[in-house]
Amino acid sequence: MTQVAIIAQDLAAAGFAALGVLVSLQWYRKRNRAEGKLALALVFLAVVAVGGRLQDPAHPPLLLSAVEIVAFMLSGFFVLLFRNEFIPLSQTALRAAYGLLALSIVAGLVDITLATHAGGAVTTLLALVLIGAWAIFTGEPIVRFWLASNSLPGVQKARMRALSFGFAVLIAILFVDVLGGSALQSPLAITITQLLALAVVPVIYVSFAPPSILRRIWRMGEENALRGAMQDLLIFSPDRSTMAEKASVWAMRLVGARGAFIVDSDGSLMAATPGLDAAMVEGIMATRTGSLEGLLGVAGEEGSQIITVPLHLSEGPGTMGVIAGPFTPLFGTEEVIQLGSYANAVTAGLERARVTERIAALEKSKSQFLNLASHELRGPMTVIRGYVSMMEDGILGPLNERGRKAAEVMDAKVSEMSALIEQMIESARLEEGGLIADLKVTDLRDIARNAVESARPLVDKNHELTLKVPRRPLEVRVDVERSQTIITNLISNALKYSPAGGAVQCEVSAAKGEALVTVKDEGIGIAPQHMSALFTRFGRVMTPETQHLPGTGLGLYLSRQLARLQGGDITVESKPGRGSTFALHLPEVGAAAPEPEPRLADAETAFRQD
Amino acid sequence: MYKDRWVPTAIRVPLWGGTQSGRRTRPIHVLMVEDDSAIADMFQMQLEHDGYRVTVAGTAQVGLAAIAAAPPDIVLLDLLLPDRSGFELMTMLKHQLPSHPPIVILSNYGEPEMISQGLSLGAVDYLVKSRVTPSLVSRSIPGWLEQPREGPN
Repeated sequence: MTQVAIIAQDLAAAGFAALGVLVSLQWYRKRNRAEGKLALALVFLAVVAVGGRLQDPAHPPLLLSAVEIVAFMLSGFFVLLFRNEFIPLSQTALRAAYGLLALSIVAGLVDITLATHAGGAVTTLLALVLIGAWAIFTGEPIVRFWLASNSLPGVQKARMRALSFGFAVLIAILFVDVLGGSALQSPLAITITQLLALAVVPVIYVSFAPPSILRRIWRMGEENALRGAMQDLLIFSPDRSTMAEKASVWAMRLVGARGAFIVDSDGSLMAATPGLDAAMVEGIMATRTGSLEGLLGVAGEEGSQIITVPLHLSEGPGTMGVIAGPFTPLFGTEEVIQLGSYANAVTAGLERARVTERIAALEKSKSQFLNLASHELRGPMTVIRGYVSMMEDGILGPLNERGRKAAEVMDAKVSEMSALIEQMIESARLEEGGLIADLKVTDLRDIARNAVESARPLVDKNHELTLKVPRRPLEVRVDVERSQTIITNLISNALKYSPAGGAVQCEVSAAKGEALVTVKDEGIGIAPQHMSALFTRFGRVMTPETQHLPGTGLGLYLSRQLARLQGGDITVESKPGRGSTFALHLPEVGAAAPEPEPRLADAETAFRQD
Repeated sequence: MYKDRWVPTAIRVPLWGGTQSGRRTRPIHVLMVEDDSAIADMFQMQLEHDGYRVTVAGTAQVGLAAIAAAPPDIVLLDLLLPDRSGFELMTMLKHQLPSHPPIVILSNYGEPEMISQGLSLGAVDYLVKSRVTPSLVSRSIPGWLEQPREGPN
């Protein structure tokens, strides 16, 4: 059994020695200052492990023991320095740490010189001072790393946790060893603790230099989330900068980097993750060695590794880059390939966002133009309309027969123009989302009667306009003014698109919890292929029969939008050459109909009653 | 009852003439605060034709001074004035002259928010210029004068 314990001790020592060598080699490839601290810590740990196996436990040579004590304390201290590299300690804490280091080394030296003379209690106490100091040096970083790892990308998180876990086990073993006393001096106990220590070796090693297979496994969860996020990114990002912002965060997470940035085709910084600033990115872009096509760039400040990949945007090449941090695995082909394919998706997303932005800007300027133009038109309209009415009233002096006729025609045309301006304003307001239905409970028959009355002047001798209403009141909860506008518009359309004349019948009815106003004509009708354009903005059906008729193509678009604003809709049935029937559907009061934006509407109503 | 947004409320009360005119010994004084002279001239022509006395102020400043100097019976107020907005004029008037004459807003803007703001500032009515004729405004004035108003009198 003793033999087994000795083998276990040798194995553990060999394990730590191998760890020291591997870590040194890894560090040599990167030569990063922060990682150097961790490498030193592990090398010192290896020295302690190997030194312990070289001496005869019964008669330890003083020099070797002294070297071991110092190496042991330094191994702990460098873990603290490593932590200090990227979560800096305060000056006071750092000074205290140096003090503790000196104190513990002195205590250790006292321990080995007095070991032969003093009793067991003193030895244990001094050993506790040593291990206590070591536990403080490594324990604080362990806790700190563990806490910090929560908010980090998958790969970094796993590495930090592995490191914390490995050192935590070492601390536990050391304490148990010293405090356990004779119970733990049995060969079995020694075998178990040594094997445990041996098991820690690979854990600490992967935290320092994780192989690509582990990196891939650690990333797996992230990648699934990434796929989902990517979809959101491409579909829902409102603009390019938001998209770039999100894309850079995901690039960072994807390869477990410290930071990521995206540079636009014009060289301006579009997005950078927290901790990177414009000057830093500029420096990286300037010192970047490879061309855009050369994927792997190196160097940068502190010798951090950097990958830059091109974004082939239509305006010119942009760049996406990631910067390695202390817990970033050595960037390899794996990361470059991954970032490259991610860059393609980001490029596509950015292009789409640009198109969307352009369309949105166009839409907005169109609405603004409509709004501005219509408001500007109202001014001159006021004067023309006013003087025409005053002419008709004779206030400007008596008119002869021809003059009166002219004034009449002008009045009709000015009204038409005025209505068009109002339509444009309504449409612009609708686009801006500024229209709120002013819902009130009203008898639909009254609305229809008023609408027919206001359309009456448009009826010529070829047409016959009739209104059919039910005997009972038909209560609806609608925006009275806008409903009347809709019905008037439908009637005026019916008259306009039946140039040969005929009956135009307006009918109010109720069916299936809905109130209906249908307007039926015997006009030219609408061909099926034109139906889809009917309710679009500026969508006018242009055929030889209709192109001479005036109109903006706003009427039906607005009518349908206004109907929907009140919880209703407009439908149409038509046979080319036979006529059309347009139906305004409105929710009937009493029927369980959903009320659109009830609170807003109520607020408005309440205000108007004030 | 159905109320059209751009038809003055006053149109529903007894109109100009009869006892109204008989009671007055001097013509009703209308102050029009309007910077567009084409519009001001037109309204002045109609209102004077109908027997009103009309003063025109081209800016809010002149308008305020005119109200303070010789309070008119009613003010027709434009909102977009060269020096300050009609709303500002109304606010200032509220402080300077709490018992000021009734104000009717005549504006190119017809947005519900503007109408709400105008009415909440104490305007007796809000009309969109392009939707009314001078004669309609003229006929509505007696009704506006009869309308009970909030606030200290």
